[in-house]
Amino acid sequence: MSEDVKIMEYEPLVRDRYIPEKFQFLGKRGISRMDGVEKAGGTAQYTRDVNLPGMLFCKVLASPYANALIKNVDTSKAEALPGVRAILRFDDPELQDKILLGENTKFNAGHIASDGQAFYHGKEELAVTQEQWIQGAGRVLDGFAWWEGAHSGVAIAAESLQIAEEAIRLVEIEWEERDVVLNPIEALKPGAPPAAPELNDGKNLLRKIRIEHGDAEKGFQDADKLIEFDIRRRPYTAADGEPMSNVILWRGDNLEIWAHQQQPYDGKCLLSAVTGIPLNKIKLHVPFQGCHFGHGGNPFMHHTHGFHVISAILSKRTGRPVKTLYNRRENFYGLSQDADSHTHFKVGFKDDGIITAVKIDNITAKMGQYGIDHFEDNTRIPNLLLNYVEAQTNFAPAWWMRCEQNHNSFCFSAVFAHVADALGMDPTQVALKNDGVGGKDMEYLSKFKKDHGFPDRDSLAEVIEKGKTAINWENKWHEAGKKMLPNGKLHGIGFTWDHEWDDNRGAASAGLIMHCDGTVDILAQKADDGVNPMTTNCEIVAEELGMKLKDVNWRFFEETGFQMMTPDGSCNLCTDAYVSCNMARKAKKTLLEYATTPVKLIEIEYPPAFPDHKPEDLDVKDSMVFVKADPENSVPVAEVVKRATLNQNGTQAPLFEWAYQRQGRYGCEEGRHRLCRQGYFAEVEVDPDTGEVDVKKIVSINDVGKALSPETCEGQQYGGAYMATGRVMGEEVIYDPKTGVRLNANLVDYKVATFRDIDKTENILVETGMGYGPYGLVGIGEDCATVIPFAVANAIQNAIGEWVDDHPATPNKVIQAIQKAKEKGVF
Amino acid sequence: MANVEEQGGAKLVTLQINGDGHHLVVEPQETLREVLQDRIGLTGVKEMCDRGACGSCTVIMDGRPVLSCMMLAIECGGHPIETIEQLNSQEHPLIQAYADNHAMQCGYCTPGFVVTAKALLDKNPDPSEEDIKTALEGNICRCGTYPAHIGAVQDAARKLKG
Repeated sequence: MSEDVKIMEYEPLVRDRYIPEKFQFLGKRGISRMDGVEKAGGTAQYTRDVNLPGMLFCKVLASPYANALIKNVDTSKAEALPGVRAILRFDDPELQDKILLGENTKFNAGHIASDGQAFYHGKEELAVTQEQWIQGAGRVLDGFAWWEGAHSGVAIAAESLQIAEEAIRLVEIEWEERDVVLNPIEALKPGAPPAAPELNDGKNLLRKIRIEHGDAEKGFQDADKLIEFDIRRRPYTAADGEPMSNVILWRGDNLEIWAHQQQPYDGKCLLSAVTGIPLNKIKLHVPFQGCHFGHGGNPFMHHTHGFHVISAILSKRTGRPVKTLYNRRENFYGLSQDADSHTHFKVGFKDDGIITAVKIDNITAKMGQYGIDHFEDNTRIPNLLLNYVEAQTNFAPAWWMRCEQNHNSFCFSAVFAHVADALGMDPTQVALKNDGVGGKDMEYLSKFKKDHGFPDRDSLAEVIEKGKTAINWENKWHEAGKKMLPNGKLHGIGFTWDHEWDDNRGAASAGLIMHCDGTVDILAQKADDGVNPMTTNCEIVAEELGMKLKDVNWRFFEETGFQMMTPDGSCNLCTDAYVSCNMARKAKKTLLEYATTPVKLIEIEYPPAFPDHKPEDLDVKDSMVFVKADPENSVPVAEVVKRATLNQNGTQAPLFEWAYQRQGRYGCEEGRHRLCRQGYFAEVEVDPDTGEVDVKKIVSINDVGKALSPETCEGQQYGGAYMATGRVMGEEVIYDPKTGVRLNANLVDYKVATFRDIDKTENILVETGMGYGPYGLVGIGEDCATVIPFAVANAIQNAIGEWVDDHPATPNKVIQAIQKAKEKGVF
Repeated sequence: MANVEEQGGAKLVTLQINGDGHHLVVEPQETLREVLQDRIGLTGVKEMCDRGACGSCTVIMDGRPVLSCMMLAIECGGHPIETIEQLNSQEHPLIQAYADNHAMQCGYCTPGFVVTAKALLDKNPDPSEEDIKTALEGNICRCGTYPAHIGAVQDAARKLKG
């Protein structure tokens, strides 16, 4: 590695101050997606599409009961079915030590995985010990089920998917059904049935957390007004495009895996940990990914390694490749981390909108998320108190799902909206009055920016100003419940805000090879999650190297020894882009040394392309190396590399560099304040007779620091708007309250937002350069889908004059809220 | 052949796919998607919902966009079928327009949108924004790329008109 190219150390406050005045690619519009033709033309291969010669198909039994124990299994009829090649039962000796690392754990090890690859650096980084993690897990195929649909009992490999499915139906199982509890509040009551009797001594209490900053009681005493309210958020899911699958093939002592997985290297590590197969004997292929939104990266989920172990054992036993697939219903099992959450709020504030204290009492189903973080990260509110309780229930497991901050954003927006409503104040003003960090005000934040070399810009003020203009706020915002339109519908408009939390963390590495024809390969594996990472990272390398974009390529499907963060294109670009940027800068330096240094081979000295110059005399543009003082004096990059490599009989490796980046374990270390703000406005019309809500417009204003690919950022904005609209309007996995069986685990009855569900989206990018990422960037992919739901919820309240306090805000709940408003005389 | 039918109702059909005849013995319960994807290897036809809700498996049959997961293959003999692979081999302008307009993210659902849009352009070479929404409103993109599709389809329409 060259010594004079600075690679950022693990230092939270270090940031990239190299911001070129002019870019050829970065920030420019009109750059076609490099994977676009493959994807649109149907030639992009996904794991679901992988089909190997002789491949068997595997189905795993999904428990029909939400809480049950297997008493007996009879697989004789399945064994007799022609085409069945192998059956793996939960009582198979080979499965007894095959632990599912983390599923249904009683510990929230979320912060473990947030480190990405860094997780594997050492045990000391674990929030819980491996032993504790295992204790709460179970096995990859077990003899009990804690939720309906749990993968349990039996797995069958057969000549076709249809035969495997039929064989599963022929398995006769004697189940012992047990009582079910779904509501976390009910689960914590004395005498509640144990939701997971095999775990935690049958107790449903999983975690209790108390966090306090300042003195909440004193803050309430200092307040002019106090309000209290409750909100519930019911379970919802990713409903991701490509159902989960894998393909595994044993070759001798080696195992090959094709994985549909958000953090595939994590899956490989988990597979190795469970099976004892060394990592260098597992070869990982990562085809294109039919979206995950975080759900796919959960090391707690069966699909991240549980079914890899099953496929591996079946492949070894049959000597054939095995593909294990979930169907749509089976895929409908991961819940968002704020499912099912019940939250009580108490808020104190001054008459001028300054909030003096917030208290949050939060009860959630297992693997929940508490809601205090964003008040810590994002406001001047000095007094905060959280009481968080997490209960085991018979809901399916929960995990991050665009994203882990759902409940934080939800609580944050709820508090600001209710304060504004209670005061009759413009909510944008309440936001501006309370903006800050860690209980400190904007004056402190302004000094922080100056002290650390950031531009001193008021991100929230800029965001709000642009948003208000776009949605015509001054003319449209009105007293709640007071604007009936000529079409007989109630008009509403809402606003909410937040910061971008996922602006820098994790670890990534990549290599770069420049071939002797002058083309460049980025060497790193990653899952294709996020938006447009292939093009964006190629743009960075081309920009920094001075290459034509067409001369840079990144095929990230195979193992190269390097792993980049996933998802990418937005949030994790803050880490990955440093890698691309730094290795390209190093490669350029090496290239110019090649251009000026003769190659001596035994007795022959081959002259370089520019024998009379030093590296600093040269530069690169459009894949040509040229003399800065005489740009006409130029040669193709290919010629420079060719001279340096082929003159040595082609045995020397082509130009190669690599870079590594690790930065910010959680992205929010103390003293490393988030500076970029995000704002969202929504406009709705509500039918007072049916409770139906029409989303007329969503305006997203995102301070991205620096937009490397504007179309990619906009993709996050409107894509997030649609996901958010679905979440607030109707997304809920509905469980039968008596049996715990999912009633809408399909895309017909589980409603996601589609083309007609938003009339118009408007996407505005603000570039303050105040991100910690290279070029001053932050990501926004997490933010949009997570924060916008409450912008719509606020617009509904503005329309009907009453809060819908049970989300999603389906028409029946909107009607109930309208009835309440009528009883209060709002209209 | 008779023997095959006696053993479970399987039937020999000739599917006209992308201009080629495919002679296949298909089971009565096999959907067109299963046959196209699993047996013929046309993996551009995607399985997402598998019950007619998402449009990812759309093909053009007799000039109309149909959901191949809702069609029994055994009934499709003799009907010309066009898949995304045909559009790709012909370098249909929609494909480059989708790439240029970033009308995709993960891309899993994208071939279904492109095929549906192709069926629209075959009948309506100059679609309005409303026409495009009407044509594509049955397709699900979980990444939420909907607004970008309008520009992509209109760009392709302009290229097709020359």
